[in-house]
Parts: sequence; structure tokens; C-alpha cells
Amino acid sequence: MSRTWKDLSTFEAFLDDGGIVEVDDDMPDEYRNAVFTFIEMHANSEYMGGLTERDWIPKTPGLRHKMSVLAKTQDEIGHGHLLYMVAADMGIKTRTEMLEDLMAGKSRFHNVFHYKAETWGDQVAIAFLVDAAALASQQAVFKNCSYGPYRRILKRIISEEGFHMRLGEDRMMRIAQGTDTQKEIFQGALDRWFWPALQLFGPDSKPNDVLLKWHIKSERNEVLRDKWVQKFVPMLQSYGFTVPAPDLSYDEETKKWDVGPIDWEPLKKTLAQGGPDSARRIETAKNAWDESAWARDVLDGSKANA
Amino acid sequence: MAIYEVFLKKDGRDEYRHAGALDAANDELALVMARESYIRRAEGDRLWLVNREHVLVADPDFIAPNADKPHRHHDGAAVAARRKAAREATE
Repeated sequence: MSRTWKDLSTFEAFLDDGGIVEVDDDMPDEYRNAVFTFIEMHANSEYMGGLTERDWIPKTPGLRHKMSVLAKTQDEIGHGHLLYMVAADMGIKTRTEMLEDLMAGKSRFHNVFHYKAETWGDQVAIAFLVDAAALASQQAVFKNCSYGPYRRILKRIISEEGFHMRLGEDRMMRIAQGTDTQKEIFQGALDRWFWPALQLFGPDSKPNDVLLKWHIKSERNEVLRDKWVQKFVPMLQSYGFTVPAPDLSYDEETKKWDVGPIDWEPLKKTLAQGGPDSARRIETAKNAWDESAWARDVLDGSKANA
Repeated sequence: MAIYEVFLKKDGRDEYRHAGALDAANDELALVMARESYIRRAEGDRLWLVNREHVLVADPDFIAPNADKPHRHHDGAAVAARRKAAREATE
């Protein structure tokens, strides 16, 4: 029924030639596992991001912003749904298994959702800096992704993330043009979120990164991170904010900003579920999952007929 | 629960296109899920949902023979060459 490849090198030649893998293809296990793990982490991150957004619905200032936060929450949970579907179709774990692993701390989600959002300023910094970083990573995957179902679903996710980023920029500019207190609140948020946002791209890609080799990612982590730095450092400065990088420098010759050495320890901690807010985030997700068990039971009919 | 394949079409343009899939407890909820997950910003005004169990999937080997039938095409190159030759003959 499905396409098969006689060995990994034949499969890799197919990918190098621009081949697109479909769900019913007999893809090598190494590829299936690597792509699945990547999509699962993306799905988990959308879901955890949606829960973060939800936390802010009651606290969001003003009806207009509140409505946009509601819409964004629904977008993020929706992205989770779409991605869990694509991941489940790969036949490694069901959606329930993925969610249970997430609640048990057995699978990963992006570093930025392991920190606490202290103020509305943090939400603005997240929407502006983090959504931009996430969007840049997703666009780099969409560009040349060899797994067809993921590439197609990314198209709609990216279009919605674009709305979120513009919303973030709109909010950031309102604050930049606001009162001194507002500016102070945002600067505090920036001090907390600049580095986690930058670390979303991850450490420099390893030379043998299979996600690059198999055309899932189209760009190395350090290249994407540098593009983000070149865009956001001057932008934040132009709005009158201070970039919290003590070794920040500008090279007149290359016309490039350098944020100095990056401490990767915080990222490593988040990957081991040891970030400042990891435990609370996972517990919140688990409570939401447990409290909605009755609804799932009704829907799948197991209790409905009892 | 059943898995449904989602197809969307924009008004007056394009064909129905596969947008993705979703799972839902019944047809009614599947329609709600499709509206809330796939058509949040007017991505289409027509929607088809097909229970995945009812999708007939053809074997690529069954379809493949038709990819190799050049006599079903004509790229016009030969006609262009003959037109050119005819023009040159009358000049």
C-alpha cells in the first residue's frame, strides 16, 4: 500500500531530492521517532501556552484586550488539537498517552512555559518576544519540511501565530508610549523574559542534527537566534527600553549586535522540568485534565450508558 | 470517538481542499470542532467532514501507470516548430 525504501540511505536520498513523506509511507523508524518527538513537543508547547494564556483571561486589563486573550487562548488550544492529531496519526502514542506523559512530566515542552508571568507586562513581553521567536522557528520548519502532514498543518498555525505577534507588538507599543509606571513594568518583564525568549531557539545546532539532515528544520538554531537578536535588540532600544545583556556590543564593521556569552543552565533546567514555574504549570495542567475527566467519559460513551 | 477528515472550500474559488483531521464523539460535535479549529477566520464557507473509516485510499501502484502516458499530453513544441517552418517557407 505505502511507499517503502530499501534502506536509510535510499530514504535520505529521497529527502535530499525534496521528497515529501506521507503518513501511510513506510518511513524508517529513526525518522518516524525523531519527527514524532518533535511534533509532540510542539503540541505540548501549544497546549501549555494555551493554559498560560488562560490564566490571564480574568486579569487582562480592558475588554478589548480581554477578548483578544480569549481568542488567543482558543487558538493555542486549537493548535494543540491539530498537532496532537498529526502526531497521533504517526502511530507511536495516542493523544491520551501524549497528554498523560505531559502531565507526568515525562515529555517536554518549550522552556518559556517553565517561567512565571508576574505582571501584565510579562504577558506583553511574551506575546512580543516569545511569539516572535516561536514564529521564526516554525517558519524555518514550514519552509522545507519533509513530513507532509506537519508542513500542511503548520501553514495555518503560522498564520494564526502572526496575529499573536502583531497583537504583542501593538501592546508593547501602547506601553512604550504610556506612563512611566507602564514603562517600568515592561522593563521589569523584559529583564525576566529576554533570555528565556532567546533560549527558545536552543543551543547551537550539532553538526549531526538529524532534524536538519532529514529536512525537518531548514535552518540552524544559532542562525535563527542571531536573526532574532538583530531584529529585537535595536527595536527594543528604539522604544526606549534597556536590553538586559551586560556584555551587549555592536560591531560597526559587520553592523551586528552581539549579546555576549549565553548561560545555557536555565534552559537545561527547564528541559528536566526544573524551571522556576515547572511544577506549578504541570500541576495546573494535570488538574485541568483530571477535572475534565467526566466530560471525556460522557463523550466516549463509557459512562453515558452506565 | 471517530476521526473525521476536514475539507474546506472558499466561496467561488478553488476546489475543496483537505485541511486536516479531528476526532469527535459524534457528527454534531465534529461539526462544532471543525468550525472552532479550522474555520476561525473565514478560511472557507463550505465544509465537508468525512469519517476516516469511509475514505477509500488507492494504492499508489494502482494509480502509477497513468503517470507514464506521454501520448495523453501535447506540450505544443512540435506544433510551434512546424508553424515556424511553414512561416519560413512562405517568406
